[in-house]
Amino acid sequence: MSAVTIAPRRRRRLRTVLIAPMTAGVLLAAAACSGDAGSGGAGDTLYIGTVNPPASFNPINQADIAGQWATRFAMDTLLDQPEPLKFIPKLAESIETTDNKTFTVKMHTGAKWSDSKPITAKDVVFTINLIANKDSLTTLGGNISSLTGVDATGKLPKGQTKVPGLLAKDDSTVVFATKTSVDPNYIKEMLGTKVVIVPEHVLGSIPPAQVDDSKYAQLPDVTSGPYKFTKYTQNASIEYAADPTYYAGAPKIAKVIMKIMPAANLAGELQTGSVLMNSGGGIGNIPFQDLKTVQGLKDVNTKVNPTIGFQTIQFNVKRFPDPRMRLGLAHAINRQQIVDELLLGNGEVVDGPYTSQSPYLDKGLKNLTYDPALAKKLLTDAGWDFATKINFVVPTGNKIRERSADIMLQNFKAIGLNVVQTNYDFPTTLSKARAKDHDMVLMGLNFNIDPDVSNMYASTGSFNLTGYNSKQSDQMLEAGKAEPNTAARHKIYNDLQKLWQTDLPVLTLYSDHAVASTNKAIAVGGAAPFWNGTVATVGQWAFEGAN
Amino acid sequence: MASYLIRRLLIGIPVLLGVTVINFFIINLAPGSPADLYLSPTATPEDVARTEAELGLNQPIFVQYVRWLTQLLHGDLGVSFQNREPVAQLIGDRIGPTLLLMGTSLVVAYLIAIPIGIFAARRKNTAADYSVVGASFLGISVPHFFLGLAVIYLFALQFGWFPTGGMLTLGRGGGFVDRVEHLVLPVTVLATAIAANMVRYVRSSMIDAFGQDYIRTARAKGLGGFTITNKHALRNALIPVVTVIGVDLSALIGGAIVTEQIFQWPGIGLLTIQSIGSRDYSVLMGINLIAAIAVFAANLLTDVAYAVVDPRVAYA
Repeated sequence: MSAVTIAPRRRRRLRTVLIAPMTAGVLLAAAACSGDAGSGGAGDTLYIGTVNPPASFNPINQADIAGQWATRFAMDTLLDQPEPLKFIPKLAESIETTDNKTFTVKMHTGAKWSDSKPITAKDVVFTINLIANKDSLTTLGGNISSLTGVDATGKLPKGQTKVPGLLAKDDSTVVFATKTSVDPNYIKEMLGTKVVIVPEHVLGSIPPAQVDDSKYAQLPDVTSGPYKFTKYTQNASIEYAADPTYYAGAPKIAKVIMKIMPAANLAGELQTGSVLMNSGGGIGNIPFQDLKTVQGLKDVNTKVNPTIGFQTIQFNVKRFPDPRMRLGLAHAINRQQIVDELLLGNGEVVDGPYTSQSPYLDKGLKNLTYDPALAKKLLTDAGWDFATKINFVVPTGNKIRERSADIMLQNFKAIGLNVVQTNYDFPTTLSKARAKDHDMVLMGLNFNIDPDVSNMYASTGSFNLTGYNSKQSDQMLEAGKAEPNTAARHKIYNDLQKLWQTDLPVLTLYSDHAVASTNKAIAVGGAAPFWNGTVATVGQWAFEGAN
Repeated sequence: MASYLIRRLLIGIPVLLGVTVINFFIINLAPGSPADLYLSPTATPEDVARTEAELGLNQPIFVQYVRWLTQLLHGDLGVSFQNREPVAQLIGDRIGPTLLLMGTSLVVAYLIAIPIGIFAARRKNTAADYSVVGASFLGISVPHFFLGLAVIYLFALQFGWFPTGGMLTLGRGGGFVDRVEHLVLPVTVLATAIAANMVRYVRSSMIDAFGQDYIRTARAKGLGGFTITNKHALRNALIPVVTVIGVDLSALIGGAIVTEQIFQWPGIGLLTIQSIGSRDYSVLMGINLIAAIAVFAANLLTDVAYAVVDPRVAYA
């Protein structure tokens, strides 16, 4: 009865309580819908689907390929490399040498930053000095490590701020020297196509140690490339607008928007036209199980291209001191099965650190076959105790790699090995591998077209996760780096591939191909067959029917 | 009431502090260093050590926590490990889309659940009632990710009615229709689970109300079915339903994490998943704190709302 008597008051209260959240929801919707009505025309924006978000936009500190790719739409290098060992001018007209030790960079005259200040030789000198400065945080140290006065990590001694021999002779000429003779292609690739030039008039007043924390490094607002950054929504999208004053000609597409999404969404987004191309490479690949779907889309062209990236098993050499043990483990693995069943044939078995896309691959090298009987014999001959537990560390994140570990585990068990697999996330895996807290660890790698792989194979290499320490390999790696003659370099690296095939500190497993899908509305553009060269022509990309 | 509120707020302080302590230590228990994610794999040990020092990761864990807490007391949630953006700004940018998604889902869910719940209660133990109960169990049981993928496949890929993801068509400004189109599928997924749950509450609450004396009295007075249901039974039956809003909020936050990931909705849920992947501890701590405050506040508001709608409930 009491409930009935107080009902009118309670009704009002109840109504208030119920209406409040509903009103809030409607207000929220209204607030969110207060944006401008659609403004972009259908043909003025290129939507690109990509998977990996960039770790950073600092042009000199790019830990990942996603960051390098995103930055290169807005920032130019001295040269570009549309195909392996083919170089085209960008900010530099040329990089020349007569003695393979002293190099002269001739700058493009008329190139300007997006704030209209000229891009000069002084910016190039400033950039290299900034990278070499002991206090700056950079991933490009290795790219300038051949220059005089810097150590193996590309750094100057503490307190020194200028690379000896590096100078701007005038506004359009830079001269620098290397410690030893080097293949000009090495300089063109490592320094010419990888070192993004930064503006001295913006960063010159910031102490080198603070550049990485600067506002500029969060999203550069003074750029040199065909596009300017307009907005980054962390891990969701990157938006660009064309720079009409771009020195190589105004871009034909007004806006570019990269949409960051799970790989599984790419095919659907291509189907609905929400994205017009995928970024490809290792950062925006369409999963192979969706390949038939995208190949069946009538508005989309799809190509499958080989890459220079590959997956490896890094052995802990101390745990397997006899090369026969490592060879035995290698012969136990059915790599072709991984390519056939996991990559659905869209890949290749790789022996050594060079894939079919590398001009330095020794095609005469005999592959390590899948031969369980031979594997067992090699391990037995080397005195391996089959009851010994083998700690197999697998990083998570790459589903195909994780599943390849399952196949390998079965392969190892088939010959009676006691292998225990543990999965960790990537940072944990890397920490364990660096501490040599593993017997075998899976690791994916993506090197350059230049064949120098000292990082991984040299005894002092910063990515030597195996503990491999071979004087012969070290000497040949040094000789390879210092050899200016291309034919002689081929010989050195052929010999190295034979040596590594015998010592086998690292077993290369497979290289997965890249799926490049491009909507037919794009007349020029899309992921290139040599993926690293995709960014070389971004300024010329155009829609069908554009002038 | 006031003293009750003050007491609840005071209890909230150690609760939130406890949440931050547990979160901070659990997050930092993960082996491996976030610095490895922000450096090239070929970085030297010196580079790793330097980055760890810059991020403060070289300090003992309790020192890191005290420093984080001191910053927090000064109103500073710190900066993102990944790109050095202030955490408060990152969360501020993402909270609007999440509130929009959650708010709309909640409203839609209630608008669906209340009439269906009444419908089922009025037809108790009939085929229609069993169908509603069965459907609600199905709605509760279907995982968000499955329903999300299913609606994308059907309504985005097959029929092409709605976009596959995102909050608006990027680069076009996002007009009203564009935003509503982007809202439909994620709201469908989130609202389905909430509505399915709510239908059961409304149904049982209405069945209880229909058995009360005042309903019999209303019938005896000769009132019609519509008046009895909506003016007498529903208003009383909704009182316990109000309390469920607080519980729903926790479920909504959990559901939003999955739904935002599937639909690439640029909200807090997507930021959470991405921050876990990039080991962005400072962002994760900020998100955890905001989520804990939201759940705490929702529960408090539910208690208050309960007292407001039902004067028999008194807090002292």
